[in-house]
Amino acid sequence: MSNAAMEGSPARRSAARRWTAPLVWRLLPLTPFTLILAAWVAYWAIAQPSAETLPAVQDVAGAMWDLAVKGELAVHVLASLLRLLLGVALGVTTGVIGGFIVGLNRPIAEFLNPLIVFFNAISGIVWLPLVIGWLGIGTALAVFLIWNTVFFIVFQNTVLGVQLVPKVYEQGVEALGGGRWETIRSVILPGASPYILTGLRSGLGFGWRALIAAELVGATTGLGQMIFGATEYHRSDIIIGGCLIIGLIAIAMDRWLLLPIEQRTVRRWGLAFDARSEE
Amino acid sequence: MPDDMAKSTQNKIVVSGFRHVFETDDGPVQATDRVDLSIRAGEFVTLVGPSGCGKTTLLKALAGFIRPTEGSILCDGATVLGPGRDRGVVFQELAILPWRTVRRNIGHGLEIARVPRAAREATVGRLIELTGLAGFEERYPHELSGGMRQRVAVARTWAADPDVILMDEPFAAVDAMTRLTLQEELVRLCGATGKTVFFITHSVDEAVFLADRVLVMTRRPGRIKAAIDVPGRAAGRDWESFKIDSAMQAIVEQVLRLVREERGATAPAASAAVTK
Repeated sequence: MSNAAMEGSPARRSAARRWTAPLVWRLLPLTPFTLILAAWVAYWAIAQPSAETLPAVQDVAGAMWDLAVKGELAVHVLASLLRLLLGVALGVTTGVIGGFIVGLNRPIAEFLNPLIVFFNAISGIVWLPLVIGWLGIGTALAVFLIWNTVFFIVFQNTVLGVQLVPKVYEQGVEALGGGRWETIRSVILPGASPYILTGLRSGLGFGWRALIAAELVGATTGLGQMIFGATEYHRSDIIIGGCLIIGLIAIAMDRWLLLPIEQRTVRRWGLAFDARSEE
Repeated sequence: MPDDMAKSTQNKIVVSGFRHVFETDDGPVQATDRVDLSIRAGEFVTLVGPSGCGKTTLLKALAGFIRPTEGSILCDGATVLGPGRDRGVVFQELAILPWRTVRRNIGHGLEIARVPRAAREATVGRLIELTGLAGFEERYPHELSGGMRQRVAVARTWAADPDVILMDEPFAAVDAMTRLTLQEELVRLCGATGKTVFFITHSVDEAVFLADRVLVMTRRPGRIKAAIDVPGRAAGRDWESFKIDSAMQAIVEQVLRLVREERGATAPAASAAVTK
């Protein structure tokens, strides 16, 4: 009893430490960006490269500011975000459902696996010429290409997660009178969630890549189009600014979308893959 | 066990001629060889035997997770065809769910049985008291010590109110001191609830301390080699008096001898190993 109480408290204390002394932890992720920025400023001050090869920090900031004031930036960002969220939502939904079906059924897995390996090897870009013919140029094209990337990542992680849930958890629920649906709902789904979340995280990253690729060719708005358009006028400030915005949105999503989900689920349950760090 | 067979009307569980063969990459392995046993309603039966003798196989068959290759397993006169809430299981690996709090783990069986919330909370509250988990209701398993996780596993099985409880070395992974406490708590819990319990262990002390009857299994392929009655109500036992009770210690010696024979004469320090 008493040793349990003693063992319980360090977990709480370490959780408290994460929140009450977070300054170092908050600053640490910013450090590499600060270093890169400093190197950029320093390099530019010393080497003075032409604006086409590497623009100055203030030029990039200025270009973005101009686009923001004109309202163009918001149009591009919103167009990209809409496509990304549609594609990712579709990819995650189909990936998780497909992953469950395949992960839970050996015959279906045997039946579908060659097909999955086959299509997974074919990069999204390969589809472009065909899909432009099928779907035209627009949101559907981008959504398809993002789905094509996100699906496989989420799918494979989900299959792995489903298969790695310890059998004994299922047996435990069966011995309590739980049927197939109950074991799926209360065991497999939460048990696979660390892997599903990992899939979601990689899926979001690769979704961005697919999105920009799709927008380079198949869109009139969006950050990819903004960057592609800028290359024609050798506007390296807009290209770099566009990349910065993509990266910043990706970080923001990770911090404010994925991290809270993780904190409420796998971290709370002691299943986060990095849980060993402080415990 | 002719005396049990005579009272077969009261038998909760009857295993006859249970043989189990499982397939491995190196061919079939026979886990048990014609196990016959019966457990009366309300009886606490422990089973000791050397590692790999088929103890867990037998328990899994009683739980309904595996089917006998040969022979039959009856619970209340009906053939066991699969897992069911009439037979609760406390697993060696615990099987409490990391994503459920203590309260929700313990209440899971009642949730599945669609017991209304109020009744569920009452049962869960009572078991939390009985198992000394008060104050830890909203904790997750990873925030608990090994001993507390063990209590959650026991309470969760008890809460579903099965007639029969099957326990597979549930205390093997906790430290020696905690184990003694858990064993005393278990005999009290059983005394308070009157369940039929089938309990597997490596430890001869544990087997005798908990049981109304101790079964000894041979080495693989296992069968029941001996059954030893332990006199007196298990519910009243505690370790201090158990250790100085010469009648009890004589039974421990007897069981130890039976188990040691199965380990082979060459096994070094068998006594220390089996009592752990």
